[in-house]
Amino acid sequence: MSGDDSAARFERIVQPHLGDAYALARWITGDRADAEDVVQDACLRAFRAIGGYAGGNARAWILTIVRNAAYTWLARNRSAVVTAVDDLVATESANAGQAVTTAGGDYGANPEAELIAKADAARLEAAITALPPQFRDTLVLRDIQGLDYREIAAVTEVPVGTVMSRLARARQRLIEAISADDR
Amino acid sequence: MSMDVHDSNRDRAVLLVHAYVDGELDPANAIAIEQRMASEPALAAERASVEALRHALRERLPREAEPPALRERVRRAVGITRQRTQPTWMALAASVAIAIFASSTGTWYATTRTPSAGGNVSDAVIAAHLRSLMAPQPADVASSDRHTVKPWFSGRIPLAPRVIDLAQDGFPLVGGRVDVVNRTPVPSLVYSRRQHIISLMAVPNALAGSTTPQTVQGYNMISWTAEGTTYWAVSDLNLEELQMFARLFRAAPA
Repeated sequence: MSGDDSAARFERIVQPHLGDAYALARWITGDRADAEDVVQDACLRAFRAIGGYAGGNARAWILTIVRNAAYTWLARNRSAVVTAVDDLVATESANAGQAVTTAGGDYGANPEAELIAKADAARLEAAITALPPQFRDTLVLRDIQGLDYREIAAVTEVPVGTVMSRLARARQRLIEAISADDR
Repeated sequence: MSMDVHDSNRDRAVLLVHAYVDGELDPANAIAIEQRMASEPALAAERASVEALRHALRERLPREAEPPALRERVRRAVGITRQRTQPTWMALAASVAIAIFASSTGTWYATTRTPSAGGNVSDAVIAAHLRSLMAPQPADVASSDRHTVKPWFSGRIPLAPRVIDLAQDGFPLVGGRVDVVNRTPVPSLVYSRRQHIISLMAVPNALAGSTTPQTVQGYNMISWTAEGTTYWAVSDLNLEELQMFARLFRAAPA
């Protein structure tokens, strides 16, 4: 493949998703300047690999590269953050239904839903930032970037069942955190 | 009821409630979990909390555009030097930034904006979309092949629209139809995203109106202008994915 072809493919396949790439990198690194570095690194990887890109879901393909680039970047620059990720694997398969106990028997008036409806942007963002990284990735990909379960499974390189349990736990943690503010 | 909270059946039901809210269940599982939510208040409460959370994240969390210089920086990094295209991309990045800014106030606009020249067009556009949803089929020519859809228009309206295949990006083409906006027949393309239907109308600029992203009765609308045509995208899809659809459509080669 000639350089011109690669350039044209890059413009067509990668560039439309640059906004999503930046948003995911910012959520993972928590920093705008770091996110730009990660996106640049990811785009270099994507450009080198673009001759072998066989079609399919371009956004999922790029976000997979961005996510890997972001974790490589974190491991190099902030190793403390990444070591915490491994501890999570043991707990994430644990009971996803735990938070249901707090819901009580009255669903006519759901106090949690009312509190969430009142939460402002800063509160929501802080609660997402406080999530363990792999829960946060899954939540951001689904509830902010709008990917479906199969796409998230592809990007985070886990089975759909793991996506489901991570997503449920991530949301339950957010719901608990936001509800706890008012107690 | 508190005895079985930790059993695997309950855990599975909770995951299914989340998948139900996400529209990821097949009809049989959806009906099954609806029945359980009707009889188990804890599951119904879970659904209410998850829906409230999703709504809050979608409506309240500002979506931050990438820095305008990032696109050029990336281009330089991979060795693409195309000065000619720079203004186009910069303009596009700027318009996306404006659209994102405007989207956070979209609901406010829809409820408070004064009627303008464009009000009639956007009303006609949303009415056409709603009519198509009530019809047995949202498209008069149902095909995912753009080489079938584009010629279908040729015999019906003076100018066939750009028809772009976005299936690889998760927006498969469903078909096309002709709508009437201010007594002028206009081509509409129909795309889908999961279970959501998107109508994309190509309105001649002579009829152009407001191009502010709007939310009307729970439907999001985005419009943009290119080559003498104002495009209107309408859907009950969330605004960020509708904006992605618009970006992809605009960026696609003709």
